[in-house]
Amino acid sequence: MPDGGVDLLLDPVEVGFLQTLPEQLRACYEAPTDDPARARLFPRAYLDPTEETAEREWQALVQPGLLRDRLDALAALQAHLAAATPKGRRRRVTLRAPDVALWAAVLNDVRLAFGTRLGVEDDTDFSRIGPDDPHAAEKAAYVWCSALQGALVEAMLHGLPD
Amino acid sequence: MATTAPVEIGHPELDEHTATDRPWIVVVWNDPVNLMVYVVWVLQKLFGYSREKATRLMYQVHYEGKAVVSDGSREQCEADVARLHAHGLWATMEQPA
Repeated sequence: MPDGGVDLLLDPVEVGFLQTLPEQLRACYEAPTDDPARARLFPRAYLDPTEETAEREWQALVQPGLLRDRLDALAALQAHLAAATPKGRRRRVTLRAPDVALWAAVLNDVRLAFGTRLGVEDDTDFSRIGPDDPHAAEKAAYVWCSALQGALVEAMLHGLPD
Repeated sequence: MATTAPVEIGHPELDEHTATDRPWIVVVWNDPVNLMVYVVWVLQKLFGYSREKATRLMYQVHYEGKAVVSDGSREQCEADVARLHAHGLWATMEQPA
């Protein structure tokens, strides 16, 4: 779309999966601060452990806003899904340019949370998931979110200067 | 737009922190999750870097483990770290000796 927006055509099962993400992410955001996935989503700012006072001040100032923005993004994504229209047997979700960035950020949080829990490393390959894999659903979700986020980011990169 | 809006930073103890004018740097660290194209897009969007510069920094993060993406006062770097965290990048700040 010329304004930088994107039309997503999704299968009903994909819409159903996306609708489960806000609740999962909210649970992660509200997890104890030593939860690895939560810690990855809200990392510390100061590398130097002697800067604990500045770190605590920074967290007190900044992290409530970072959390609020993330919760707002989840609510927006839910609204976009609720506004989906039929397109054949699929559903069409129309995203304006700012919505595309918001979706990319939510999908990134999903991948960070799932990726942390699944122990993703640089050479991790989820292209073959065994039928008896107890984490098959999370791995498949991770792969699918990666593909969708990548497509959204490519669309946004077209709108930025070289 | 919620997640990508700049985060406003106030600083209640400014005097305490202006003892030295040495600049701070913001470092982005490699992580196995963030997509390469996403890191390029975030660096272009947040810092106004060219595609070439953002791509070079992304590859530096990927192959060398980290890259300095911005520098400035303590307050500027605290704001940059917050914006990077809002986008899910793993960023820290430090004051080089």
